Amino acid sequence: MSLKRNFFAGVDVGSLAAKSVILEDGKVFATGLVPSGFDSVESGLNALNLALETAGLKKEDLTYIVGTGYGRVSAPYANKAVTEITCHAKGANFLHPTVRTIIDMGGQDCKAIRIDQDGAVVDFAMNDKCAAGTGRFLEVMAGVFKVKLEDLGALSLSATELVPMSSTCTVFAESETISLVARGEKPANILNGIHHAIANRISGLFARVGITSDVFFSGGVAKNTGMKTAIEEALKVTIVKPEIDPQLIGALGAAVLARNFSKKQGLWS
Amino acid sequence: MVKTDLYEYPPELREEFEATEAIQFRDGSSATAADVWHFMTEIAPKRYPFAYTQKKYAGVRLSRDIHLPSAIKNHYLLLTMNDRITRSRENGAPVIFVQGGQSVDPYYAAGGIALRPASVGLWARGRHEGLGLNEEVVRQHKQKEKAYHAISFEACQTAGYENIQEGGLPIDMVAPFTCLRCSDISYGVEAHRHGPNKAVKLMNIDYPMRHQADKTWAVEYFAQNLRRLTSEIGKLAGREVTDADLSKEIRLHNEGRRLAIETAELWWSADLPPTNGVDRRSLYQMGGMEVHGDPSASLTVLRESHAYIKERVNKGIKAEGVVDKPIRLFVCGSCVFPNDFRIEEAGAIIVGQDNHWSDISTLVEEDGDPYQNLAHAILSYPYEQSVEVRAAWTIEQLKKSRADGVLFLYQWGCNTQSAIARMLCDTIKRDTGIPTMIIEQHEGGSEQSEQLLNRVNAFIEML
Amino acid sequence: MPIKTLEVIRKRLEERPAELRKLRESGQKVVGWTGYNVPEEIIYALGFIPIRIAIGGDDRLVEVGGRYASSKNCVFIREIVGVFSENEDPYIQQTDILAFDATCLQNFRAAEVIEYYFKKDVIVLGVPRNFYWEEGKEYFGKEADEFARLLEERAGVALDLAKLGESVALYNDIRKTLKSIYTFQAAKDNVISWVEVFDLIQAGDLLDKKEYLSLLHETLAELRALQHNPIIEVDGSEGRIFISGSLIPRGDRKLISIITSVGGRIVGDDIWTGILPHLDLEIKEISPAGVALGYLNRTPHAALPYLDLESDRRLKKLHELLGEFKAQGVIYHTLRYCDPFTFKAKETKDVLAKSDIPVLEIHTEYAGSDYEALRTRLEAFVEMIKIKAESAAEVIV
Ligand code: SF4
Ligand code: SF4
Repeated sequence: MSLKRNFFAGVDVGSLAAKSVILEDGKVFATGLVPSGFDSVESGLNALNLALETAGLKKEDLTYIVGTGYGRVSAPYANKAVTEITCHAKGANFLHPTVRTIIDMGGQDCKAIRIDQDGAVVDFAMNDKCAAGTGRFLEVMAGVFKVKLEDLGALSLSATELVPMSSTCTVFAESETISLVARGEKPANILNGIHHAIANRISGLFARVGITSDVFFSGGVAKNTGMKTAIEEALKVTIVKPEIDPQLIGALGAAVLARNFSKKQGLWS
Repeated sequence: MVKTDLYEYPPELREEFEATEAIQFRDGSSATAADVWHFMTEIAPKRYPFAYTQKKYAGVRLSRDIHLPSAIKNHYLLLTMNDRITRSRENGAPVIFVQGGQSVDPYYAAGGIALRPASVGLWARGRHEGLGLNEEVVRQHKQKEKAYHAISFEACQTAGYENIQEGGLPIDMVAPFTCLRCSDISYGVEAHRHGPNKAVKLMNIDYPMRHQADKTWAVEYFAQNLRRLTSEIGKLAGREVTDADLSKEIRLHNEGRRLAIETAELWWSADLPPTNGVDRRSLYQMGGMEVHGDPSASLTVLRESHAYIKERVNKGIKAEGVVDKPIRLFVCGSCVFPNDFRIEEAGAIIVGQDNHWSDISTLVEEDGDPYQNLAHAILSYPYEQSVEVRAAWTIEQLKKSRADGVLFLYQWGCNTQSAIARMLCDTIKRDTGIPTMIIEQHEGGSEQSEQLLNRVNAFIEML
Repeated sequence: MPIKTLEVIRKRLEERPAELRKLRESGQKVVGWTGYNVPEEIIYALGFIPIRIAIGGDDRLVEVGGRYASSKNCVFIREIVGVFSENEDPYIQQTDILAFDATCLQNFRAAEVIEYYFKKDVIVLGVPRNFYWEEGKEYFGKEADEFARLLEERAGVALDLAKLGESVALYNDIRKTLKSIYTFQAAKDNVISWVEVFDLIQAGDLLDKKEYLSLLHETLAELRALQHNPIIEVDGSEGRIFISGSLIPRGDRKLISIITSVGGRIVGDDIWTGILPHLDLEIKEISPAGVALGYLNRTPHAALPYLDLESDRRLKKLHELLGEFKAQGVIYHTLRYCDPFTFKAKETKDVLAKSDIPVLEIHTEYAGSDYEALRTRLEAFVEMIKIKAESAAEVIV
């Protein structure tokens, strides 16, 4: 039995944010979340350093690092790269072993992932070239209503009616929204419509992969309560309450894989 | 939800309206003008409040040309779609999903009811009562989304999948003319094979392409398709379909077609538009006898309105709400239509369209083998010919209707009409100098997108 | 161990456009064809040089083509229209007559657009949607007669049935040899890759048919010398991928190269620029109609709707090929606005799920902008099937 403490890190560089999680054996030790810059290597390192700082560790203390997300292809700091799909599966399984379905809504895409009891991916689908439901899309909408991104959800939940939105395409939704505002519809009601339109569109991914309980909602958009409610309605499911920031799940999964890989490679026992 | 502020027909109109003719149905029953009035003023506002919306531009809004009885009767027939189709079906008439822009003679000849996608949508809509406009639109979107999930996001034509497979609408058969004008429909029909509703029969009535009317073997093949069609419907309706049945039906439908042509010519000849755009369109379309799911009903309303139009034209009466010298627009392309209310507000009016006219204005020879005659007529639809032939026919319509400009609209995802749009417009411009404009329409809400309307308005201003 | 004949073929392809030009100068005519049921044997028997118009992968041409057709046409068709607009493709430049079919309506529309804007001489073969009905077959036979007649008019000679018979024999031999070669790429310790065979198949679209056949025979001989008896077997670590869906024409390498770069091994396909059109083509009668029916009776193209799922031959064939090549996962590739395949994506996935075969849908176009997004999916898919194949403990614990 090694007396040395073993730390494993996962670094997930997405389009809007870079995340990292440090794991010590079976538990989350520290996390880091920073906005992504143009340089994905730097963003990844920033997130990692933030977590290291919080943990009071140095990079050398880490046994193994797995990189994931769009930045994984160029992540010199990582020992191995794995796709975020596999990582989300592992991360969600680590936190909630009963989870079988993951909805991931990140900065630039949405994913539907179905997993087994070991956290292995059984099937997945991603939205195609459609920004509906992504962080970017909601950023644009927040811009239209001149509210903060994090306030969109609450505002939409205060709606008294649902204004139908015909388009979930960013460009068209933006102009449609502007004309709805011009016609005097209430922002909350329009937002309610937007969240429902997106939820309906996203549920299409599940028509492809199927849906089994429990359901986990990950990614930055998971923090939007309006979206969570709309998705629960559209998919007729209850989403499990996350134990950590749902945006960190990919990085967490990467850290779990870092632990597994390094163990298999005999770096610790 | 807000259901106050609904439109009301002025009560003083009642007497005038109740003096108009009754609607005769195919099963021999009828609805008197008083029945219609009662339904439209007492019952429908409660069951279908969305139609009574006061929103100026809502596509489902009732026509305000209240002195034209056909307008109210048309709305009546559309709002009673569910009641009537459900009843006829219970009485043994199979309901068949068909394509827009095709004739429906053979379906009725075999004892069925033919409904094109829009009519199937109306039937489905009628099954959900008490909805306000927004709720109704949300319902429709949700339904459509289901079809996208099951088929493809790039589908515009899902052959009623959302209603038939996901919405429990009891359609007995999906059997449209395929290939005619639309690239998606045959895949839409095929998609039904993986839906939960196994009871629905599927059939493609295969429309051959490329100089089809000149090829004897193509006409023969299409006639064989029609024979198979009537025989399959006959089986569902529990009857043997004879050639005489089809001949009789062709004669009836020719009457509708002739009446529509006459009405159109009258309308086009008038200095002042005798009706608004919405009512004009419904009148022309009644000649196809599909719109109400009951050819006899469409025919009685069309007959009555023909007389009204004649009178208005002779007396130089202009329809309410239309400007004196509107810019006259002709619309080309399938499945989308610009918002008449907006167009009229901008000082223009839509005077005609190629889709749902190419078929209605094609008469069928009445002597000889009815299948061959029908096949030949259908394969001759100008809309389905090579671009030069289609353009020549369109130009003829432009001249007759004295159009000032052409709008070519197609639906997002439509591969067929979109591919023809530029060729057709270029030919029209080349041969007539009439300005044209091509617009792609994205999924529609209760009102049309601002973008589309802005472009239409700019075009009108230009004219 | 490179197969020497493949080098020869590459060289011959480079020389081919100049050669075509010379042949045309000496009075021969080139027929460019595209579609999914064009009976090429008839074109060949009339003394024409057939070449297939199947080009993709160039986003700029797609954009150009979209201006004539529309942005809602499938990217393949848009590119073809773009190719005619720019007239820079060395093979297309050599075409005198075009032959299109109406299997897919988008192809049919492309014929009209090319005829209209680029004033090309286009012959169109009608194809029945009810292809399994006797009436549909009869119609198609008549269309084939008409197709032959229109070609005869342009050839200035009548179709000689003896020549048609020779043509059929030649094409049959080509198809048979291709099938034999194809088995080698899927085998254990393969000396030829699927991509190489794929290129080899597409070379046949452009080369002289007799020469092509002898090159195929040489390739096969080389393969046999190197690997006497190809055995198709699963090796847990390879991630055996089967490609299905829309066609992948020459010039379009995006998907194929990503699959290979993320560690997947392609072992089979049923796409219409791959092996599928060469399978199960049985010509029972030497006549235009007879040849055409042989085409129509193959595994049907997805553009031809078939209304009963249980007896669908396209899906049966897919299952059969998956078994034959021991594939572990299917990448179902659909081109933007290619409705024939896109509409069936979910259904295909559901059907294969019953046989526990994972499917990844890839919906794409020729622009490079989705490269990274595709890479993520394909990489995850390969990770997934490797984990599945090897058991979780082996690859990723
Ligand atoms: S828009 Fe085009 S493809 Fe869609 S249903 Fe209409 S004709 Fe068919
Ligand atoms: S099958 Fe697909 S790729 Fe081929 S022409 Fe048709 S739509 Fe285009």
